[in-house]
Amino acid sequence: MSTTITRTRLAVVAAAASIALLAGCSSSDDSSDKTSAAPCEPAKGKVTLQYWNTVPGMDKVVDLWNKKNPNIQVETKNISNDQYGTLGNALKAGKAPDLSQVGYDELPNLRTQNAFVDASACKEATAAKSKFVPWTWSQASFGGTGVFAMPQDTGPMALFVRSDIFKKYDVAVPKTWDEYEAAAAKLHKADSSLTMTFFDPNNAEWFNGLLWQNKAEMYSYADNKWQVNVESDQSKQVAEYWQKLISDKLVRTDLANGSTQMYAAYQKDQIASYVGAAWGYSMFRDNLPKQAGKWSIVPMPTWGTDGASGDWGGSTVAFMKGSKHLYESVKFNTWLNSDPEALALENKLGGLYPAANAGLKLPALSQGVPYYNNEKIFDVFADSSNKIDTSFAWGPTQKTVNLALQDAMAKAAAGDGTLTDALAKAQATALKSMKDQAIPATAGK
Amino acid sequence: MTDTATRATRAVTPPGDRRRRLNGGGPRAGTVIAFVTPFFLPFLLFYLVPVGYALWQSFRVVRRSGGQYGTSYTTFGGFEQYGQVFQNTEFWSSIGRIALFGIVQVPVMLFVALTMALLLDTPLLKLKAFFRITAFMPYAVPGVIAAIMWSYLYSPQLSPIVDLLGDIGLKPDFLGPGAILWSTANISTWLWTGYNMLIMFSALQSIPQELYEAAKLDGASNWAIAWRIKVPIIAPSIVLTTVFSIIGTLQLYAEPAVLRQISSNISSTFTPNMLAYAVASGNNYQQAAAISVVIAVITFVLSFGFMRLTSKKAGL
Repeated sequence: MSTTITRTRLAVVAAAASIALLAGCSSSDDSSDKTSAAPCEPAKGKVTLQYWNTVPGMDKVVDLWNKKNPNIQVETKNISNDQYGTLGNALKAGKAPDLSQVGYDELPNLRTQNAFVDASACKEATAAKSKFVPWTWSQASFGGTGVFAMPQDTGPMALFVRSDIFKKYDVAVPKTWDEYEAAAAKLHKADSSLTMTFFDPNNAEWFNGLLWQNKAEMYSYADNKWQVNVESDQSKQVAEYWQKLISDKLVRTDLANGSTQMYAAYQKDQIASYVGAAWGYSMFRDNLPKQAGKWSIVPMPTWGTDGASGDWGGSTVAFMKGSKHLYESVKFNTWLNSDPEALALENKLGGLYPAANAGLKLPALSQGVPYYNNEKIFDVFADSSNKIDTSFAWGPTQKTVNLALQDAMAKAAAGDGTLTDALAKAQATALKSMKDQAIPATAGK
Repeated sequence: MTDTATRATRAVTPPGDRRRRLNGGGPRAGTVIAFVTPFFLPFLLFYLVPVGYALWQSFRVVRRSGGQYGTSYTTFGGFEQYGQVFQNTEFWSSIGRIALFGIVQVPVMLFVALTMALLLDTPLLKLKAFFRITAFMPYAVPGVIAAIMWSYLYSPQLSPIVDLLGDIGLKPDFLGPGAILWSTANISTWLWTGYNMLIMFSALQSIPQELYEAAKLDGASNWAIAWRIKVPIIAPSIVLTTVFSIIGTLQLYAEPAVLRQISSNISSTFTPNMLAYAVASGNNYQQAAAISVVIAVITFVLSFGFMRLTSKKAGL
């Protein structure tokens, strides 16, 4: 008797458990969100917001806000371990925070996963447009179609140069990519163990910054379809340029950006320059203290007379679907990313280079930096920031495309194919991955 | 454990049933459940349900309605995901790569492990405990840590090994496109040889000494004893370690994923598991589920196939 009863009970419990789990999973299929603007009503009484990010010291910035705003308390969670994995799982489980850090290049992807809510019903959100560097707002608002995120930081690109090496071999600091190639050849000829820079095939984000500089418009939307144009003439020009440097052995391909191995190569004076972003200034300062005074930061080499610059990295703070406190989220988000006091603290603790216009004029960003010979390096980045193409757009399956691009670039670096082939692979992957996600897409003209 | 079990038994067994239970019949459901639940519940929650979920996902496809950022939903797609797995050249080249890895690495590792186990088992060797612990030690190092350690030993910028070889005129490229698979295999071998050795060694320990005495009386050399007596007797252990190694090879992830941080010659699709992870990180969970199911089936077929093939000879 008891056997039958317990066995049945156990079976029932097991079945209930699996049904509950399966139901929990399948409910994620019901994405009822229609990215139309959500209502913007202030809550009655005290509100607690959840804000996920990957920025060191962000809890201190939030403490500052919490002290000033007893009725809008913010709780932070650092998700730098697996930013998009954590966020993706939370979204699937319907437990996303009110606000989360999202990189510019991941915005379209997450929007196709119905991750965001449009905050444009809040006046303060739409009014924030003028506070930010134009391209950042363009991406956070998806070309002005709503307010899905507030820009936080950017990575305007510039050229880091070892002035002492250039001086030693009497090579002028290059202003264009043509001059850069010529200088690379000169340096390598003078010292065969010296190369101009390294090309990290596993860093699609960096390569995308180079494509952006050359105004490669990879994604657009027309005729009810995404127009995929990864393999454009502008992209090919960049790919062919770096392929030539690789083939001529003027750049190394065996170093990963930010790796111990990379710093070791710089430490041994084997590399003369670094095509980097604003947030990179502290990398060299902190990892190569002995090279203080030897580095300068100059504008990124340009294509011909075009002065355009590129961006590498940076993030937004996005309004996540399911937030019940949009009004308060907008208030906090605007303060977090445009208030000079908040920006100064984020810059100090997290090394963020602000996306807000007010941030570019911070006292900390107007002074000379001792490591770089007291040069006002942030003037170079601010100038770069204003020369970044505002119409550049990311694709909805950017991460998958980046991986395919990297794998193919690594093959090219190992002598199997070229970087132009890698672009073709990225183009094919973009179309295939969008098809897998049922996103209508076609090869652009 | 025992306490809980006894208490549970008491709770469901009326006192009068005690004698019957001692006689071997009677309801022992309480005991069974008390013993089985701690295993079965986690097994259900963390094994059967996820596997079931993956199976279910692998038969779904994403569809979307409306506009540039339309709303997505999933629907039944039959074998569509599996069709894609079979057409995915990257999947099959990762399987091919791992097959090459396994065909070379598994026999080498097991041969070394067997040799070490046999050496430890001979009366000739001194300091046995020391050698046993030393050989087993790498297994105590977590795979990721081992891979990080080896990645330093492979790096031209940092490695004393590369520097030393450089001094005698060699320029090895452990992270190059041709060598990277074998550099990975080396880490796995370093990690797992001691573990496999210990399994074989404990099997050797259980062989009764009388057998050796009898063999010696018949004039068998140490070599003949090792080859004709020890190896055949511990064959089941060798089969077991082979099956573990086949499974481990197909699930290879940590070592190449760590080496990928410093070498672009490990692609995001280097091993089947890395491919599944890459696909999942691109939100294509359904395709990742199908890939995982196919990997599981291949693992199942290979390990059970190997066991069937060898079971008669090994006496399993």
